[in-house]
Amino acid sequence: MDESAILTRTRAYVLDTFLYMRPGFTLGDHDRLLQRGVIDSMGVMELIGFLRSEFDVVVADEDITEQNLGTLADIARYVMAKRGNGGPARG
Amino acid sequence: MCGFAGLARHEPRGVAAGTLDRMAAALRHRGPDGCGRYAGPRVGLAHVRLSIIDVAGGAQPLGNEDDSVLIVYNGEVYNYLELREELAAAGHRFRTRSDTEVLVHAYEQWGTAMLGRLNGQFAFAIYDRRTESVFLARDRFGVRPLFYSVVRGDLVFASEAKALFASGEVEPAPDPVGLDQVFTFWAARPPRTVFRGVQSLEPGGFAIWRDGRLRGGRYYELDYPEARDEPADALPALGDLLGTGVALRLRSDVPVGGYLSGGLDSSITCSLAARESPYALRTFSVTFDDPRLDEREFQLLVARQLRSQHFIQAIKPGDVASVFPDVVWHAESPLVRTAPAPMYLLARLTREHDIKVVLTGEGSDELFLGYDLFKETALRLFCLRQPQSRLRPRLFERLYPYLDPAARRGDFWRRFFLDAGTTDDPLFSHLPRFSLTSRIKDFYTGDLRATLSGADPLEELRASLPSRFAAWSPLNRAAYLEMVTLLSPYLLAAQGDRMSLAHGVESRYPFLDHRLFEFAARLPTSSKLRGFREKAVLRRWAQGQVPAEVQQRPKQPYRAPDIPAFFSPEPVEYVREILHEANLARSGMFDPRAVAGLMRRCQAGVATGFRENQALVAIVSAELWYRQFFTDAAQVRPGRLPVPDVALADGVTAPA
Repeated sequence: MDESAILTRTRAYVLDTFLYMRPGFTLGDHDRLLQRGVIDSMGVMELIGFLRSEFDVVVADEDITEQNLGTLADIARYVMAKRGNGGPARG
Repeated sequence: MCGFAGLARHEPRGVAAGTLDRMAAALRHRGPDGCGRYAGPRVGLAHVRLSIIDVAGGAQPLGNEDDSVLIVYNGEVYNYLELREELAAAGHRFRTRSDTEVLVHAYEQWGTAMLGRLNGQFAFAIYDRRTESVFLARDRFGVRPLFYSVVRGDLVFASEAKALFASGEVEPAPDPVGLDQVFTFWAARPPRTVFRGVQSLEPGGFAIWRDGRLRGGRYYELDYPEARDEPADALPALGDLLGTGVALRLRSDVPVGGYLSGGLDSSITCSLAARESPYALRTFSVTFDDPRLDEREFQLLVARQLRSQHFIQAIKPGDVASVFPDVVWHAESPLVRTAPAPMYLLARLTREHDIKVVLTGEGSDELFLGYDLFKETALRLFCLRQPQSRLRPRLFERLYPYLDPAARRGDFWRRFFLDAGTTDDPLFSHLPRFSLTSRIKDFYTGDLRATLSGADPLEELRASLPSRFAAWSPLNRAAYLEMVTLLSPYLLAAQGDRMSLAHGVESRYPFLDHRLFEFAARLPTSSKLRGFREKAVLRRWAQGQVPAEVQQRPKQPYRAPDIPAFFSPEPVEYVREILHEANLARSGMFDPRAVAGLMRRCQAGVATGFRENQALVAIVSAELWYRQFFTDAAQVRPGRLPVPDVALADGVTAPA
């Protein structure tokens, strides 16, 4: 799976999970999820569960940063890196 | 404790006894022990009574020597014995032993200046027949409610809004701006309510109606003249205020019980009450199956130490949902938490055990900076003073220790607090909470958004702040905001007065004795919040007074299940029905597609965060509220009135 496919799946997940009540909301790949009110820390927990079940990526505590998970593009890049570095992360 | 209602007409065309009886019947739950009315050519007064002081002689409306001044009154004035002595010395003659009559003579003696002399929790209406005026007043912190509406020059007033509607003179209609305040602050801000044209008299406020005009004013303002140092006698002074505050609140001709949460505050009030009470204290608690919410271990510890007769209201699956429609009916407002529901059940249990007066610990967290919100404010300020620091923000992980630890760490947790607003914003302390609560608005319909365009609840709140606000320390500003946005309009109302008096139980608040508030407001904030130690001075005083486990125990907020109260995993039937698209379309508040999405996630068991929990409670309660107050289904649920104890009438009275 390439980065663009990861991004597409993640976008669909975020829209369905965090933005189902805001159908007119446009979310750019580089929009900050926290600052735009899309996600909060409870939501991040749910997102981490999704990354594990969907991409087999386990997010370590120290990886829960805005750099890794701040935008859709950041998430896709992070997942790609985790999957690329020695294969799928294991929990 | 009681309920009252009344009408004051611009023209003397009479007030029908039937109208007054309908209003009284709508308040019957507040005063099941008796009722009375006065129907006159210009003014009518109605009263339902919960007999607590002078059970035999305290019926209302009650007058002075020649009945030229009549009162209907809800509440208690605890220093009535001292005031009575003073008034008797000034020549006033008393016919009863009641605190009600003291108010009548206090009005005669001091006029509206009487208010500053009262120590209590009260709302009342005094009809002065000499001047054809009506004087309305409410206690300093808003323990007791008073709503009013001016319709075509006539004043209609009552302890609850439902009695205004029962009069037939006030048309029930939603106030979208009031609703928007609920979905920002948890409650509408007085004087605004969630009903169009219905005002709530502000805590510490009064109003005088004369010649068809209503003129309002304030007799009490919150102030925080913080001292630099803690006075040397702080602990004995605090002990004296707590002791006399409890002793005054034990003045009653019926037994007084205590609510026991297992926290520091109610343990203090119950301990002091057990020492002072002439009766074996009866204590009451709620317990939950969910260990994250349950505090029974500490409740039982204190009950054992006090040797109280302890009664437990166990909240089981289905309990909250089964009473929630009644909770909303009594609260008269949409809610963003189910927490009032267990309090409703607790009051019912209390009444079943023949207790109609209870002491509770509310107010302490506001006076002594008990909530995590105050630590959060201090920590945000600490971090923003050195934005480059990587260590300081780690302290956020110590906030809200009762939440899932996995969600309390990382950038997202910290940034939520740090990005919520700038330190020069007067609402700085509360912006994270206001912004979180406001996520409910994501579910609004386009129509509601359009109706609200231009409304800005935060800007209105900023504009309402007193001029001295800017001079207070950041934590005192936070304490003030907590008092005016949450304590008065939500905790004391939807979760307090309305839940206990749904079952004819009066709650009394020793921590809300104004002398204690003023003492706490003068203390340096470091006496209250010391690092991460909340209520520091109170804990120091409580050493040896309550079990050590409770004295040292960190604050645990009272919470109740929200989404799990209604879904298991299918929704309870009435929730399915009111969240149906057709019903939502009728009320027009929430977008049916958005609500369907929320339902789907609730049923799947994945809606676990604050946002969706509060949204579900908000939507369910708002739809119940809408149905109960604005549709034909159940606009008024009158109780039955007994034969009046007092039935006064004079001059022209209108037909019913």
